[in-house]
Amino acid sequence: MIAVLRSELYRTMAIRSGWVATALIIALGVAFAAFDTDFWSLFAGLGAFGLAIVTTAQHYQHRTALLLFLGQPRRLLVLAAQCVTAAGLALIIAAASGFPALSAGDEQYGATLAVVPLMAVFGVANATVVRHPLWLFAGYAGWLIFVEALIGKLEGALPFAAFLAAAAGDGHYLLVFAGWTAAALVAAAAAIHRDLTGD
Amino acid sequence: MSSMIEIRELTKRYGRVAAVQDVTFDAAPGRVTGLLGLNGSGKTTTLRILLGLSRASGGAALINGKSYRDLKDPQGTIGAVLEQGLSHPGLTGRGHLMSQALLCGAGRARVNTLLAYVGLAGAATTRTGDYSLGMRQRLAVATALLGEPAVLVLDEPANGLDPAGMAWLRELLREHAQAGGTVLISSHLLSELEQLIDDVVIISQGRVRLQTSLTDLADSQVHRLRVRGGDPELLCQAFERAGAEVSENGRSLLVAGLSPEDAGDIALRIQVPIYELVSETPKLEEIFLNLAGSR
Repeated sequence: MIAVLRSELYRTMAIRSGWVATALIIALGVAFAAFDTDFWSLFAGLGAFGLAIVTTAQHYQHRTALLLFLGQPRRLLVLAAQCVTAAGLALIIAAASGFPALSAGDEQYGATLAVVPLMAVFGVANATVVRHPLWLFAGYAGWLIFVEALIGKLEGALPFAAFLAAAAGDGHYLLVFAGWTAAALVAAAAAIHRDLTGD
Repeated sequence: MSSMIEIRELTKRYGRVAAVQDVTFDAAPGRVTGLLGLNGSGKTTTLRILLGLSRASGGAALINGKSYRDLKDPQGTIGAVLEQGLSHPGLTGRGHLMSQALLCGAGRARVNTLLAYVGLAGAATTRTGDYSLGMRQRLAVATALLGEPAVLVLDEPANGLDPAGMAWLRELLREHAQAGGTVLISSHLLSELEQLIDDVVIISQGRVRLQTSLTDLADSQVHRLRVRGGDPELLCQAFERAGAEVSENGRSLLVAGLSPEDAGDIALRIQVPIYELVSETPKLEEIFLNLAGSR
């Protein structure tokens, strides 16, 4: 698993779009954290989610998942390594970008840091199931805007609302979001064993 | 360096359709085995199951008696060249190899050695998205060699390689086999493989039609004589009287069932001059098409 983790980290940082996106998320996050901690939490979560989806789904998009599974045939270990990589990156991004909130002594900084890695794992799990980043982004954009924001008013137990509540320091919703992540991981654990066909 | 590939009664079904059915063959150490078949015949499916990328519906595909997923050091046991250009286009050649090297525990030195070996040292810092098809195939070969495996599996490696690249690949695979390695190579470009393989497995419509050595295959085929003489009609009658099957091919006769000595003696006996007498062995492509076409 350590080998996959090192390979994934190397790959993410060796691809220009990977480190440019990371740097951009941190820079924007710092700006948002200076003005509105709630918006920073949402941005850090969405950034972690998006980055996790892109880095995971790229393997299927460019067919390098074949090489990954040749290197580590035990696919659950691959999934675990991808989750740890994405969670670690998300934690670093959130910790760095939230520096203004930390300086201001805002308690939301710690709560966001606790839930952002879960959001990254949620992203990895979703990308493992769907395998197409654009489908995921389009689907979740619609879901977030119409279902969670317009209908649900970003409250309640749906994934992104639960994430926001957890990031604001609500321990109950941290558990709820952990439940969403666990459910997505169960689906991913089944989906990662699908054949890699020549499509 | 002695590793064996064993495919035993391998079956893969997609719903009611059998992509491969009861496929059985071996690829032995020290030999290059060609898995030959038309597009859609089941070659790639067989190789994907061997490499643990697809699950078999029945049977087994083993490397040293183990399935790929049970190998302790997969990349140190078997190297694979699959599809074309399996790399992120934003990674450089060196970056791609490094990310793979980290998976199998190979170091930077091995990466640099392989880049030079496959002729990509000068393009190591170029993004693979800018590589030509041939360069991507060379990079794929370097990726397969990272773990110094005894077994090499290559799926249609000739695609995208120019004649010089193909000659390079032939030499590389021959050297690997001569050092005791096992090479299994699939292709539909039969003329390219004829100069490379020792053993041949012909697969058609998901079933193995033939497994033999190339030498035995050539020996088992009916040799044909191409004869051009002074009086084709007289020659034809004489050959047929001797029990041969004769057909015309332009100014020449194609004669099956006679040795060159017999044909020469007959021509001498009937006093017809011979201008050309060639013993022809059917090419692999011809044999394959006969086998595939007869099913």
